[in-house]
Amino acid sequence: MEKPEVKPAVCEVGQGTLPGCAALAFPYIPMQSNNPTRYSRTEALQTGTLFPGLDLPFKAAIQARTKLPNTALVELMALDFAVTELNLYLDTHPQDQEALGLYASYIKLAKEGREKYIAKYGPLDSAELVLEDGYTWLNDPWPWELGGNA
Amino acid sequence: MFVYEKKLQYPVKVATPNPKLAAVIISQYGGPDGELGASLRYLSQRYSMPYPELKGLLTDIGTEELGHLEMVGTLVHQLTRNLTEEQIKTAGFDAYFVDHTTGVFPQFASGYPWSAATMQVTGDTIADLTEDLAAEQKARVTYDNILRLSDDPDVNDAIKFLREREVVHFQRFGEPLQTRTNEFSS
Repeated sequence: MEKPEVKPAVCEVGQGTLPGCAALAFPYIPMQSNNPTRYSRTEALQTGTLFPGLDLPFKAAIQARTKLPNTALVELMALDFAVTELNLYLDTHPQDQEALGLYASYIKLAKEGREKYIAKYGPLDSAELVLEDGYTWLNDPWPWELGGNA
Repeated sequence: MFVYEKKLQYPVKVATPNPKLAAVIISQYGGPDGELGASLRYLSQRYSMPYPELKGLLTDIGTEELGHLEMVGTLVHQLTRNLTEEQIKTAGFDAYFVDHTTGVFPQFASGYPWSAATMQVTGDTIADLTEDLAAEQKARVTYDNILRLSDDPDVNDAIKFLREREVVHFQRFGEPLQTRTNEFSS
């Protein structure tokens, strides 16, 4: 029986690798390649993913990206989103050193951004009290209220 | 344990109240493929997962889904604020209003209350992960259908974000299946 020659996979953005021979009766999802192409953190937040390869929008909807307001909170959302997205990516790609380095740098930026935000707008969790400002945890608006999250 | 963070994952700012739209979006709060079921499914499945990357994924995605539950609740809340008497009587919203006024209650768009019967925890790695893949696709199509029903750009902006997260989660739940094939088949 002649076996086809298996070439090392070079995948395009939006493609991943599958095993050459795969067990039957088993679901497979292609593995995203290491160090995948990425959006900037602002584009990532607007898109809902850091990775252009996973950006698969609903065709019938108007695809124009809404311009997110340029506020301290939205900037912090973008940093935290990059951290969340890389967290999930690293769960399945723990050996990707580039992604690990990027994760570390986003964690650092998010931490700095968070401190700046808290100093100006108050605590994001109840243990982040700034004592001289009093008990600001109860200050409106809460995130679900209009103007409370952008 | 969990700590509450006083911010949304993504901005939700709805300029125009629209109770009829809220009455369908509520399905992603407590409906058959909504975010409440998603978070409880993943956060419950993790106890019987034997592999570190799956314990991590279910914890991390389950936690993100709680953030999505908050975003959907925010959409419903903002779509039903300051309603006029005429808006309360809107066909499609009056049935919700009589039971819940403008409170946010976990239910299907059809009015059926959230049910744990919409999710499963089998204790079997392959069965649970395959359920999770299906769950992400079912949530994705519900967001597609909300985009078909809504012409409000503020709502669609947040819905598109939530929809894209389903695509990413599908990918992530699928990847460990491939890397763990040998363990599964032996």
